[in-house]
Amino acid sequence: MRPPILAFLLAALITLPLADSVFRIPIQVSDSLEAIVIATKYSSFWPLLTDSVRFSTTTFRPMRYEQTRWLLQTAAATGLTYNSVFRAVHVALMLLLVLLFLLAIRVRRWIDVAAFTVAFPALIGIHTFVAMLQEAYPVNHFAEVGVCALAVVVLSQQRARWFFPIVVCALLAFALSVVESGAMVWVVAICCAAAGMRGMTRSSAIAATLLLGAYLLARHALEISSPGIGGHGSGFGGTFYSPEELKQRFGAHPLGFIAYNVAGGLASLLFSEPRQGMYSLVIAWKTGAPHPVLLINLASSLATTALMVWYGVTHLRGGRAAWSDSDRLFVAACAVMIVNAALNAAYIKDEIMSVGGLFYAVAAYVAVRALLETIPRRGVVASALIALLLMADAGLWAFRAAGVHYVLRYDAFKTRNDWVEVLRPDKRDDWPTDPQELAITRRIRNEVVLRRVASPSFMPRWGDRYWVE
Amino acid sequence: MQDGKAGFGLPRAEPRGIRLAPSGVEGDSAIRVTLVGVMAAVPCVALAAMSAWWGAGGWFGRGLWPPDQVTLAEAIATRNNAEALRLITLGANPNQPSRVRDGLLTSGYDVVIMPVEAAVGAQRADSLRMLLANGAAVDDRELRVLRCYERTRRDSGVREILDMRAAGLSDEARSAKAEPPDCSGVRLPVDRVE
Repeated sequence: MRPPILAFLLAALITLPLADSVFRIPIQVSDSLEAIVIATKYSSFWPLLTDSVRFSTTTFRPMRYEQTRWLLQTAAATGLTYNSVFRAVHVALMLLLVLLFLLAIRVRRWIDVAAFTVAFPALIGIHTFVAMLQEAYPVNHFAEVGVCALAVVVLSQQRARWFFPIVVCALLAFALSVVESGAMVWVVAICCAAAGMRGMTRSSAIAATLLLGAYLLARHALEISSPGIGGHGSGFGGTFYSPEELKQRFGAHPLGFIAYNVAGGLASLLFSEPRQGMYSLVIAWKTGAPHPVLLINLASSLATTALMVWYGVTHLRGGRAAWSDSDRLFVAACAVMIVNAALNAAYIKDEIMSVGGLFYAVAAYVAVRALLETIPRRGVVASALIALLLMADAGLWAFRAAGVHYVLRYDAFKTRNDWVEVLRPDKRDDWPTDPQELAITRRIRNEVVLRRVASPSFMPRWGDRYWVE
Repeated sequence: MQDGKAGFGLPRAEPRGIRLAPSGVEGDSAIRVTLVGVMAAVPCVALAAMSAWWGAGGWFGRGLWPPDQVTLAEAIATRNNAEALRLITLGANPNQPSRVRDGLLTSGYDVVIMPVEAAVGAQRADSLRMLLANGAAVDDRELRVLRCYERTRRDSGVREILDMRAAGLSDEARSAKAEPPDCSGVRLPVDRVE
């Protein structure tokens, strides 16, 4: 068996059951139902596209509604349930992410496979990946952005071709049209160009920058602003604050809070702390009882981040001209993580850092492989210590990755129960008055209620302590 | 990334055997690299094996944490309103007692109770409200039992619903007050029957 085939096989074995867990989550009420209802009211592309520009004063996401409309049409044409169609897209996006990750890290030797076996559990187990899988939009926009971002990295590793700028711009345009975090595709392109990756030419970077500029101008012309502090709840220290509380506390002097969020966003990638702006360590300090999940996450992230620091210190001294392809990929990945953190300026959310999470695993792969390559130069004791470190780190990440199933089961349970509160028989006054809206709401609700999911009451209770934060 | 001309990460693999050491490294060093690599791979391979087992279980059996078969009262006791609604939709009678297995509301024995009683036991006002909205009936005797049971399983939301019922008020009358129930001689739903 060849090394790339073994890596693919391992990835498939781990990912396919995960796909099943993702598929079991029903369509969510929050963030999904509204978009679906809106999409049902339009029978063609352009009216929906032009109207969607005015749906919100802080978001510009025309393709969010168009994709939803297409999927509703697909369900109607195929006779499949709405849940099957929408969840199948979520699953397909997750599979694409894994495939693109494999392409980005380019496993070719057995030592690559060994590095892959540490990095892949990190990809799946990192909290930002779970957050991305739990995404509540009817189509998983953060996964779409992740797919576009990884596709740009894969392109950047190839010999430059004339059509690359077009592909990069198409990926960026699509990502920007679904969610504001789509700007991460531009960030990835620029970071790859800055790191000197061969496929990301100056023309691609300039074209992408011009496109982003046009997007920002269009937002400005349409008077679409970005949500500031108070647009979303976020944590500070050991407390989570509502949007109103944030505005009251930090609205007048936001700079400190912005710096806290940006630093916290990066720290959440590197150390799995804070989460949503809250440091569980602070809470554990106060209560004197750290949650096991906190310790597991912290230990795995610390070990992997330390490896990355080691790689940076030992491999990047020579300057850009002396960097290998691996060095360039590593630099691009780290730069993406750092810039990604800046998107948390107004509030911290795991989903916002989801692209950074993908690149964390890429950087981890490069660092682990480099460490393995040093073994021939090391003594027996050092080699044994490295083996123990890698095994322990990979073990913790694999444990976190296994817990993703648990978290997704929980999510499926919660999401399904959310639908019980929709169209309540004792609250008929709250029902939609539009017959079309009522019909689709009722259909999805019936689909979801009839779709059985596991109850956490019958899952192992220790899972709460080790996997649920 | 190994420098080379590979396209989309699927280049030629090494020709033979599993050998982790870079070319030119032989003897003990090569063995060390292989050992370290294999040790590092153990957790991922174990995860893949477990995942394969879970996946195969899904196809050929119950798989990883499948949905459990529950009675209507058990669905309520486990805070699974959606499953309760599914069972009612499929014909389960919300006014029929059903078994709740040991460990959910009781310790050491099963009980057979009404779904509304399970809602009170689980301290779920939303479940109680859902049952009442979907055909569950509560007569005076049952209401007294529920109110007494609530005294042992305190929940302000459940108490509010039951007190309003006791006072004969609508759900909207949130300020309603009812007299405390007389619980003398009342057997609670989860009391063990000898």
